[in-house]
Amino acid sequence: MMEGQGSTWRRANAAFAIAAMIFLLLPSLIVIPMSFSDSELIIFPPKGYSFHLYQRYVEEPGWVSASILSLRVAIWTTILSICLGVPAAYALVRGNFPGRRMLAMFLLSPIMLPSVVLALAIYIYFVRISLSHGELRLVLAHCVATLPFVVVTAAAGIQTVDANIERAATIMGASRLYVFRTVTLPLVIPSIVAGALFTFLISFDEIIISIFVAKAGDTTLPIKMFSSLVFEVSPVLAAISTMLTLMSALICILVTFAQKGDAKP
Amino acid sequence: MRPETREQYRIAVFALPATLFMLVMMAIPLGSVVWQSISDDTGLSLAAYAKIVQSNLFIRVTRTTLEIALGATLVAFFLGYPIAYFLAKQSTKRQTIWLIVILIPFWTSSLVKSFAFVVMLGHAGILNTFLGELGLGPYKMLFNRIGVMVGMSHFLVPFMVFPILTNLRSQPPELAKAAAIMGAGKFRIFRTVTFPLSLPGVVSGALLVFILALGFFIVPKLLGGRQDVMLSSLVDFYAREVFDFQMSSAIAVILMATALLAAFLLSKVRGGASILSKESS
Repeated sequence: MMEGQGSTWRRANAAFAIAAMIFLLLPSLIVIPMSFSDSELIIFPPKGYSFHLYQRYVEEPGWVSASILSLRVAIWTTILSICLGVPAAYALVRGNFPGRRMLAMFLLSPIMLPSVVLALAIYIYFVRISLSHGELRLVLAHCVATLPFVVVTAAAGIQTVDANIERAATIMGASRLYVFRTVTLPLVIPSIVAGALFTFLISFDEIIISIFVAKAGDTTLPIKMFSSLVFEVSPVLAAISTMLTLMSALICILVTFAQKGDAKP
Repeated sequence: MRPETREQYRIAVFALPATLFMLVMMAIPLGSVVWQSISDDTGLSLAAYAKIVQSNLFIRVTRTTLEIALGATLVAFFLGYPIAYFLAKQSTKRQTIWLIVILIPFWTSSLVKSFAFVVMLGHAGILNTFLGELGLGPYKMLFNRIGVMVGMSHFLVPFMVFPILTNLRSQPPELAKAAAIMGAGKFRIFRTVTFPLSLPGVVSGALLVFILALGFFIVPKLLGGRQDVMLSSLVDFYAREVFDFQMSSAIAVILMATALLAAFLLSKVRGGASILSKESS
């Protein structure tokens, strides 16, 4: 009797859990067949298949330029976040200075703040200091949101590096910076790559902060998608959604591998 | 200066660029939002807050925000707990594969997901077409509370899964085994051992989900109706449509204070939980 009850419980749980996971995956999956539809109407399943919507993505004005702007902003955001975040993670992991915990909380606080609060604050700030360079506005604002993720992923990597290796190098007379560059950094490359990929993705998909800080002409891809969803749901969105989903999936899989490599030593 | 202290300063310097950046780009802007909310042309003034408290719009929107955030937290719990429980029972290799299934939607743009839900839940959408063939519906599932709930809980479930999964993994398997040897059935073990022990994970997941839910902006805007305006939208409305920075700042401060309070509770829960678990670093 006991066995029977146990396996029913387990089976019911498995069925429910798998159903819930299908619910999670469904939106990402459903856009793929729709993107190959040959119709102007959004119907599922599509009646016929073609690359028509991808062609429209390329030919319709605005989509490609919006994608290029998002790409540029995401690349600069990634570079800046890594340059700032990785050394900060090093200080937080290796240091034991007073105020270290406070500093960690401060650097990670954007994770806990509603995006709209950050967006409003930075928007008003940019108006006040009259920063008018559109791309720079986006990069600086995105970086506030992405920096915590770099700090967290880099810190996780640095924690796996044996501090004694660094100590040995320091005793030999090498400076902190030299040890960081030549000993620590090469060992944590997988975590940095993971952090960089996630930063790129967060920035590329960022919408709330962008809506606030972007100047009128600077339409990133998410901003253009957002206005298309508000005003007329264009079927081109299916093609774009498929490309974005594939990008997310690719990055997830790459990061899973990067972190596997990290766990080896 | 002792060499040990000097060494600590040398390490702290590594955090200097990031700290300066965050001071200039986050702390000062947030500080001036707080300042803006409590001052006007003449000096200190709580006029904005007084106006807010008396505003029917604000009170209605706050109630809606709390309702939606609590509802989404509950739905995320009911979907997230079984997933975490199921994953905790899998081998490490299988767990990695299942985790990718959760991580892909987690990392998919919220606009992509909103688009997919518009297509799925709309009047002539996939779900209604399917239900129509069964002779049901059509039901209105978009541009109302249902749409917001579906979209938000979909976004929030992973945030519930991760802390609960971490907790379930850290539970010593001997406990359940001991209970089984004593003759307890699987469900009884879950009810009296596993679930009570996992409560710190549940609370920390629920707080995290609630904090995130409070600040939602895109999903209610795209999947909700006129009745589903949340506080974030109100911040946006006052800032970019009315250009009343004082009002929008005051609402943002209220939103921020609520989130920080929840974050503080979260750190209390986590602090307590990390003492129990093995890796209390």
